[in-house]
Amino acid sequence: MNVSAQAVSIVMIEDDEGHARLIEKNLKRAGVYNDVLHLASGTAAVEHLFGPQRQAGAPVLVLLDLNLPDMSGIDILARLKADAELRLAPVIVLTTTDDDREIRRCYELGCSVYITKPVNYETFAQAVRQLGLFLAVIQVPPTAP
Amino acid sequence: MTWTQAAFGRITLGLTALGFVILLALGVGLVWLVQETRSYANAVVATQQIRVSNAEVMASLQDAVTGQRGYLLTREPAYLAPYRSAQAQLPQELERLAAQVAADGGLIEAQPQLRAAVETKLAELEQGIALVEAGDIQAAIALVRGGRGKLLMDQVRAQIDGVEQRTSARQQQRSASLERSGQLLLSGALLGLLVIALVSFGTLRAARSYTRDLEAAQAALQHANAGLEQRVATRTGSLMAANEEIQRFAYIVSHDLRAPLVNVMGFTQELETAIVAVRGLMERAEAEAPALVTQEVRDAVGEDIPEAIGFIRSSTNRMDRLIGAILALSREGRRRLTAEPVAVQALLEGLSNSLHHQLDAAGAELRLQAPFPTLRTDRLALEQILGNLLDNAVKYLDPARPGRILVRARREAGLHAVDVVDNGRGIAQRDHSRVFELFRRSGPQDKPGEGIGLAHVRALARRMGGDIRLASRLGEGSVFTLLLPDVLPAPDTDTANTLEDQPA
Repeated sequence: MNVSAQAVSIVMIEDDEGHARLIEKNLKRAGVYNDVLHLASGTAAVEHLFGPQRQAGAPVLVLLDLNLPDMSGIDILARLKADAELRLAPVIVLTTTDDDREIRRCYELGCSVYITKPVNYETFAQAVRQLGLFLAVIQVPPTAP
Repeated sequence: MTWTQAAFGRITLGLTALGFVILLALGVGLVWLVQETRSYANAVVATQQIRVSNAEVMASLQDAVTGQRGYLLTREPAYLAPYRSAQAQLPQELERLAAQVAADGGLIEAQPQLRAAVETKLAELEQGIALVEAGDIQAAIALVRGGRGKLLMDQVRAQIDGVEQRTSARQQQRSASLERSGQLLLSGALLGLLVIALVSFGTLRAARSYTRDLEAAQAALQHANAGLEQRVATRTGSLMAANEEIQRFAYIVSHDLRAPLVNVMGFTQELETAIVAVRGLMERAEAEAPALVTQEVRDAVGEDIPEAIGFIRSSTNRMDRLIGAILALSREGRRRLTAEPVAVQALLEGLSNSLHHQLDAAGAELRLQAPFPTLRTDRLALEQILGNLLDNAVKYLDPARPGRILVRARREAGLHAVDVVDNGRGIAQRDHSRVFELFRRSGPQDKPGEGIGLAHVRALARRMGGDIRLASRLGEGSVFTLLLPDVLPAPDTDTANTLEDQPA
């Protein structure tokens, strides 16, 4: 399988339609044109990531909101990092709080970046742009063949 | 205690007191009786002595008569010895008897008669002896035969018998009195014993009754105490639960409020971006087809929309700060406090150093008045509290006078009190409790701040087992007093754990 040919697709787990839309817009604006799959609930995300129809070997990046109505994003993060294949996928946690304990917990579980959703949109755009840079770097993931 | 029990108690007490009074009276009576008895006994002895003296007079006279007769019969002068001896003793004996009778209250008038009778008899005896000595024995015997001697002797005996009878009668009377007094003494003593027994019984009964009442009261108190502890525990439990719920509520609310705010702000940004394109279009239209651009469109694009966006931005920013503050407070409320030895002096010195620039800028002086205690408490919390109070003191100084801030420590009601005293602008009386409420501020709003500091300070101080108090006069200055215990109270571990593990 030619891994390098396959572009990373972004899986965005975000229940707030507005936030999802803003993230998508700002990703585009920051020059990130990877495919973005928006999943609006924890259940849908689990179905897609761990369900029978999952595309094995496809490199993904997960944008994860911790505050989901049907389950905690932390649980999804834990499951991702426990999965033999998906544990290598970078996970970017996006949430509204900057609670120290919560951040520590996410890093302990193995998230790549933790970003607090800012109200001041300029810093958010900047963060997403940095994220885009980061995404560009990992577009050739070191996945084992 | 019921009414009947109270009445019973009063009656018992009254009877016991009465018993003691009777006992006292009996004691006095018995002492008097003992004195009486003794005086009766003395009187009986005195009469006995009179009787003895009386008998002695009679005996001496008989000795004299016997001696004289012997001499008359034998003319032996040896027989005269008892006569002479009796003759010498009789005046003394008579005198003693008379004195005794007088002292005892006897018939004193009879004594001269007795004396006269004795003296007459003695004279008669002497006459007989004189006749014998003169050698006229016949005349002496004739004198005896004449019977005058017997007559005189009978007179003396009659007198002696009179004394004896009267004295004996007195003695009998006194013996009877002595007997009566003795009986009275015995009865009194018995009565005393009886009263003692009664009083003892009454006292014992009263004591037992009181002891029982006391025990009952104690039992009731214990019961009430146990109930109280139970109630306090229950109440504390529900307070803890309520507190936990409020913390959780504050956390969730602030967390969830932030999500829509992100949208409001984000899409406002989108609008701002969009308006740039619209403004470009309008400028092109103005240049190419000025007729299309009305004043209304120009106002909308140039002023109304930017103004609306500006207000939305400033409001959301403010709201974000407030939510952030609530979040910070709720997070602080969930932080587990840990006790460690904290030297207040060193902590204050550190804070004082970090305030150096502000103090210089304000031209103010901060003085730490030693000594300060070392507490076992949460270092960070204490630092936050004192830092906040000092910040406020510097922030709200009165520019009209040089700022003076003083920190001192003292003991108050078993707690440590740390006063932060300033001569700043002060706080009006009506705001004294308001300043400790969240988002409430006092005085002119000319300094940055959200009204969170003192609310935070009070919440922390209370969690640390203490409190914060304010004394202030508008325009004169303020004294914030932090009260803290020696040792941080042990936290309710259950509650702390629940909050600690709460998912975000």
